[in-house]
Amino acid sequence: MTASQIVVKNLCKTYRVPEREAGVGAALKSLMHRVYRDVEAVRDVSFEIARGEFVGFIGPNGAGKTTTLKVLSGLLHPTAGEVRVLGFTPWERRHDYLRRISMVLGNKSQMLWDIPPLDSFNVLGDIYHVPPAEFKRTLDELVALLDMEELLTKPVRNFSLGERMKCELVAGLLHRPDVLFLDEPTLGLDVSMQARLRRFFAEYNRRSGVTVILTSHYMADVTALCPRVILIHHGQLLYDGALQGLAEKLAPFKLIRLALSGANGQAALPPEADVVEQENGHLTLRVPRATTPTITAHLLNTLPVVDLSVEDPPIEAVIDQIYQEGKVEV
Amino acid sequence: MMQEARGKRQETRGKGQEAGSTHHGSRITLSQINLRGGLALIRRTWLSWVQHRSFFFLLAFGWMVPPLIYLFVWSTAAGGGTVGGFSRGQFVAYYLILIVVNQLTYSQTNWTVGDVIRYGGMNSLLLRPLSPVFDALSSEVAGKVVYMLFIVPVTAVLALWLRPELHVTLQNGLAFVPALALAWALRFFWGYWLALLAFWATRADALLALQDALIFLLAGQVAPTALLPGILHQAATWLPFRYMVGFPVEVLTGQLDAAGILTGFAFQLGWLAVTLALFSVMWRTGVKRYSAVGG
Repeated sequence: MTASQIVVKNLCKTYRVPEREAGVGAALKSLMHRVYRDVEAVRDVSFEIARGEFVGFIGPNGAGKTTTLKVLSGLLHPTAGEVRVLGFTPWERRHDYLRRISMVLGNKSQMLWDIPPLDSFNVLGDIYHVPPAEFKRTLDELVALLDMEELLTKPVRNFSLGERMKCELVAGLLHRPDVLFLDEPTLGLDVSMQARLRRFFAEYNRRSGVTVILTSHYMADVTALCPRVILIHHGQLLYDGALQGLAEKLAPFKLIRLALSGANGQAALPPEADVVEQENGHLTLRVPRATTPTITAHLLNTLPVVDLSVEDPPIEAVIDQIYQEGKVEV
Repeated sequence: MMQEARGKRQETRGKGQEAGSTHHGSRITLSQINLRGGLALIRRTWLSWVQHRSFFFLLAFGWMVPPLIYLFVWSTAAGGGTVGGFSRGQFVAYYLILIVVNQLTYSQTNWTVGDVIRYGGMNSLLLRPLSPVFDALSSEVAGKVVYMLFIVPVTAVLALWLRPELHVTLQNGLAFVPALALAWALRFFWGYWLALLAFWATRADALLALQDALIFLLAGQVAPTALLPGILHQAATWLPFRYMVGFPVEVLTGQLDAAGILTGFAFQLGWLAVTLALFSVMWRTGVKRYSAVGG
């Protein structure tokens, strides 16, 4: 076995989608002769993840994140490529494999509505063959970490979204998985509940050494939790590395913030600098990364500068640009 | 604390890893059955269902109305004499037992499997180390218990009022138990394989409605199958539906001689074998297709 717990090589997944125009005529026609279109959801994606890593999967809607997660968790078999997780081929869905992974979906529930979570947890303990002593220890620990003692014996139907998510997490972690797939776990939660869960994920990952892949559209989740991100767009892997490096590699520009003593300094700006914001004497400029030092020097020489700072663009802005254009333009 | 526990489990897990590549997961082998998990699921489903007793009592009432109507039609028709060899009291006995048997063999989960597939619920089920059949089975068991809480007292009251005529021999009583069990299995898996068509077609439950209509006609509800005319009688004998409801009732009410009972069992077992084969093929190819197109 390799040192990596998750190995993905040249993963491709193509869906065949039936295609037809709207209307009754088209519907009848498609009964006789179906036209299919191939949609490449994932194209030649490769990566490896080591034990205990916390990796963020980012990309716009429809980028192929969920498809990749579904392949890893065994729900989909790929069109081409090789995938090994914990030494298993996921889509064989062996019980030995399923007992060691967990997938928590922000928009799906494992809980039955009419009975208290404790009953559902007990069933999961039996389904996953968790020894009773270990079950109790894990449950106590998770309940303490999530501060949800009082929820255990109330029916789930009365819970808020955040309380239900806490239950989902306990349900997903009771069997102490080695690999955890978190698909949008903070979806629809309020800011403080998001922060609460973030602290929980970080703490749980640190304590248990579980390997986590997280997808989220909230960049705050990713920046707080994932030292490493994998960026997928149009089914292709665009970036794999540290979150900070993403900005450096994919956003080849920096922001210069200026405070000027005179109101108008615009005329003296070099042509490479774009004005992003302008407000009584405060200017924000976007400049190519390579020419940042010369432009800064130029600005300091020619303008009545009171204050000047050079920053990387906020990660949200970089991501937004990548999502919209598939690349970052200067 | 957590690290220690993990270490221990890591060791015990080592064995499973090498075997990983040879086995195909959608096949149900002995090691894949997970009885402990299945039983736990049954317990939970039951807990959840008893919360809604009155709803299920209403459902059960709805299901007993058609046989009840035919009970009154036929017992009135028989009057003081007989129709097709049945006296009034025999019709009452036949239909009261049919009400219970129909309730015990009716697989309401057949209707929900398709929804689970269509609305993406199959994903969570496939992620667990437990065959999704257990979810249907757990609802079955839970349902039977809840329905019987209603049906048994109601039928008992009807029996006191309508005075059925029933002489159960030891042979018939003993044959009734396996006939009932096989009838349930046949009806459950027959409906289940039809429901699995939802993997391919979005409105597969139209076929379930057709099945219910055929059961109504051919399984002894509209009339005991012995009373069906020519071609319908032939159809009832050869098709699987009689063996899902009518056959055990005929056994208990003494309509069949030893040869008739044995022939019935042969048909029941034959159809069950065919049904299980269909179910297993549909399940395997269905899940394969599901994992190709995505849920």
